[in-house]
Amino acid sequence: MNLDWPAAWQALIHHPLFGVGITLGTYQLALAAYERTHWRLLKPLLQPVLLSMLLVIGVLLACGLNYREYQQSAQLLIILLGPSTVALAVPLFVNLRRIRQLLWPTLLTLLIAGVVATLLGVVLAWALGAEPMILMTMAPKSVTSPIAMLVAEQIGGVAALAAVFVLITGVLGAMCGPELLRRVGVQHPAALGMALGLTAHAVGTAQALQESEESGAFAALAMSLMGVATAVFLPLVVALLV
Amino acid sequence: MLLRGLTWLVLFQLFGTALNVLLLPMLPGPIIGMLLLFVFLLLRGEVGEPLTVAASGLLRYLPLLLVPAAVGVMVYAEAIIADFWAIVGALVLSLLLSLVFTGWLMQALIERQARRREAP
Repeated sequence: MNLDWPAAWQALIHHPLFGVGITLGTYQLALAAYERTHWRLLKPLLQPVLLSMLLVIGVLLACGLNYREYQQSAQLLIILLGPSTVALAVPLFVNLRRIRQLLWPTLLTLLIAGVVATLLGVVLAWALGAEPMILMTMAPKSVTSPIAMLVAEQIGGVAALAAVFVLITGVLGAMCGPELLRRVGVQHPAALGMALGLTAHAVGTAQALQESEESGAFAALAMSLMGVATAVFLPLVVALLV
Repeated sequence: MLLRGLTWLVLFQLFGTALNVLLLPMLPGPIIGMLLLFVFLLLRGEVGEPLTVAASGLLRYLPLLLVPAAVGVMVYAEAIIADFWAIVGALVLSLLLSLVFTGWLMQALIERQARRREAP
């Protein structure tokens, strides 16, 4: 019997579900690696999204597939990002009721620190000589990826790059945030959560939840509000200025 | 339960997309959908069981859904390398500065509010 191995291999890697398959597989591998590591310094580097991104890229390069083909075969996952973004309204609503007491400090911090965080990234990148496409991609780096990607695309940046900037920002923030904040004398759990959620979005929120429940709630609130504010105002501001 | 919640989420996204084309080209459709859902929840005053189930189910796997988008970086490897130090420098510096500033500001505002409540 003569088996046609190359044909089977081609059918496998060009199957419309190949992208979904390798994404699901590598994500679970990355998740398992993340949960099994107890070495604290290594843990942030094993951030599941980061690790599975690298693994998927490895598989694609090994199979000689380009990104466009992967994008088509991972469509099933990509299409769910929209409803997930809509779903962010639920935790926002739930948290908003829990945090009424600190409403003014929260809103003021969101307004001032949100503007500072956004401007600082753009201005620093500009001062270091990055091109306009990079600047527009840098602007929404402090918000959760689905929003950052949509906004970046809207204002002339690149969605995929925005996802990477967001990822680096989140991982860094979760990595050194709590220690750094304690060193400069920030002790209030709400302030800690606010700082992590506002600057380091989902990854920061996950880290804040480990610190305390109050920190986690404020981080989730800061993340949602920062996301909405960025989505609503950043494209408006850019449209007015450019 | 899950299906009913999902239906709501998809409906709100579709509404959002329609509004995006009709009135608000600067806001992405899913974001308008999120705002609509938020307003809807405010008016209703509670989150129904189906929506909670669908939202928490989807949001638990949000990192997974972000992987395909993140893989897109392979297309931009050259652009990143070209501006490597500007990108890394800006990301690290602005993160550290705004992290400290946010924590400090929030703490200062909370303390101010507490002092005001003590001395009416």
